[in-house]
Amino acid sequence: MFYRHFRNELWKLFGKKRTYIGFGAFILVQTGMLLMLRFGRVRADMERTLAGNGYLAQEYISALTVAVIMLIPQVALLMPLYAALVGGDLVAKEAEEGTLRMILSRPISRFRLLLMKWLAGVVFAALLVLVLGGTALGLARIWFPWKGMFVSWPGIGFNVLSVGTGFKLFLWSLTFMAVNASVTVGLAFMFSCFNMKPAAATILALSVLFVSIVLENIPFFESYKEWFPTYHFHTWIRIYSQPTPWDAVGQTLCILLALNLTTFLVGAAAFQARDIKS
Amino acid sequence: MIHLQNLYKKFGSRLAVEDLTLHVPAGEIYGLLGHNGAGKSTAIGMMLGQVWPTSGKVRICGHDVTAHRRQALQKVGAIFESPAFYDYLSGWRNLEILSSYTAPTPRRRIQEVIAWVGLSGREDSKVRTYSHGMRARLALAQALLPHPELLILDEPSDGLDPEGIHEVRQTILRLHRELGLTILLSSHLLNEVEQLCSRIAVLNQGRMVFEGTLAATKQHEHWVRLKVGDFTLAASQLREAQFIQDEREGKFIALQPGVGTDQVVKLLVERGIPVYEITSEEETLEDFYLRLMNGQREVN
Repeated sequence: MFYRHFRNELWKLFGKKRTYIGFGAFILVQTGMLLMLRFGRVRADMERTLAGNGYLAQEYISALTVAVIMLIPQVALLMPLYAALVGGDLVAKEAEEGTLRMILSRPISRFRLLLMKWLAGVVFAALLVLVLGGTALGLARIWFPWKGMFVSWPGIGFNVLSVGTGFKLFLWSLTFMAVNASVTVGLAFMFSCFNMKPAAATILALSVLFVSIVLENIPFFESYKEWFPTYHFHTWIRIYSQPTPWDAVGQTLCILLALNLTTFLVGAAAFQARDIKS
Repeated sequence: MIHLQNLYKKFGSRLAVEDLTLHVPAGEIYGLLGHNGAGKSTAIGMMLGQVWPTSGKVRICGHDVTAHRRQALQKVGAIFESPAFYDYLSGWRNLEILSSYTAPTPRRRIQEVIAWVGLSGREDSKVRTYSHGMRARLALAQALLPHPELLILDEPSDGLDPEGIHEVRQTILRLHRELGLTILLSSHLLNEVEQLCSRIAVLNQGRMVFEGTLAATKQHEHWVRLKVGDFTLAASQLREAQFIQDEREGKFIALQPGVGTDQVVKLLVERGIPVYEITSEEETLEDFYLRLMNGQREVN
């Protein structure tokens, strides 16, 4: 039964055209960025940074470097938007369209139904990141060589990595992106469990993330920044620090998973208490 | 089959259902009547465990819905007004999804039900391509898949054309006759209820104001339509002879118990009042319903 109910949710989620619109948008943006990196001034800036640190540009401006650069704006802007859209739809859309009432006239517990929906949301988040990372790397490989990489980012400084280490960390960073996306899906899913429209659930989830980003960057909250979820979202790039701070990464992972569990339980409690009416 | 006991439901400060006690016996087609907002859908929501009662008990097929939802709804099918489906999926996939929430359903059973409702050949088409009538049939199919013993129909004819309404009515009768289902039918269409149900309950502002057999709704008064030369004179003569209890609208008389229309005709003819027509006027469910609602308005 578990398998059947889970399969139902995947059918519903991946049967909708709307689910794939985001994937298309990502590929378009990635192509645009790739062209910019290949033919724009960004490449010259990267070469200057590398030369300033005593490295040969042709050794480190690689597919891996370009893929990470392409991912930065997408992870910061497009991914939360898209994850929140899908998460906000998971329950509220079904309630709005009336299919939830059809399901709940059957002997399935509300908790089980929500668990399956949430799991489908997590699968979606993982798949989204996999496609995002895969296409970024695949597109970057068209014009850039498979060599070592460099990452320069506030807080982690300038790091040069061999191709082996770079690729291993790239896979880890995708894992963290998937966790970030699942937290965003979970947040929107939580709001979606309350009696509200899908768009309201999406907007509320994005508002929470926006407020978190703003507060995290106000100097007054510097010593409290670890309390804001978006601070932990940066782990996907922080992972490229040398040496990788695995203890802090593990801690962040625990916090994000706990946040995911909390949003699920709050959503489940709200959904359990509410009346489902036409 | 359905037992509601002292059921209350409040939405904020508004009382949607008040002290509702109802018993639907097995094998019955039971009508639930009431105006918009009378509490019918809320009552059905509570029967299906979708709406939590503020107080009171709901038992379906012998099980408490709140405490043992799974057992209570195992043999229940439901259809709602304007049934909603996953329009972007096929009819077959919709049936697979919805039936799996009750129990795994073999392909053969799905095929059998599709044939029963007359959707064969269209099951692989996307639901968005279905007509209103086909959606109603698909709704029926999903309700029948778990081999239900009880069918709860909330405004099943809503939005259908006269042909569709007729088809739904025939299907309900067929379900009752061929499968022996107990059916709870909530409807605005009084003639539909009159043709289908053996027993009804009427809700008004959350309270049950009538419960009984359909026959009981027609036994309140025995009205006779009388067409004579001078109705006022005829009525006064009949009243004087203590043949009638009441008269209305210049054409109806209510006979005293034991008085027949032959006696009325004889008396009037003897007194020189020509009788052109006399016929028993059976009260329709609509007459009964409107009288009941008017009475309630006066009480309130």
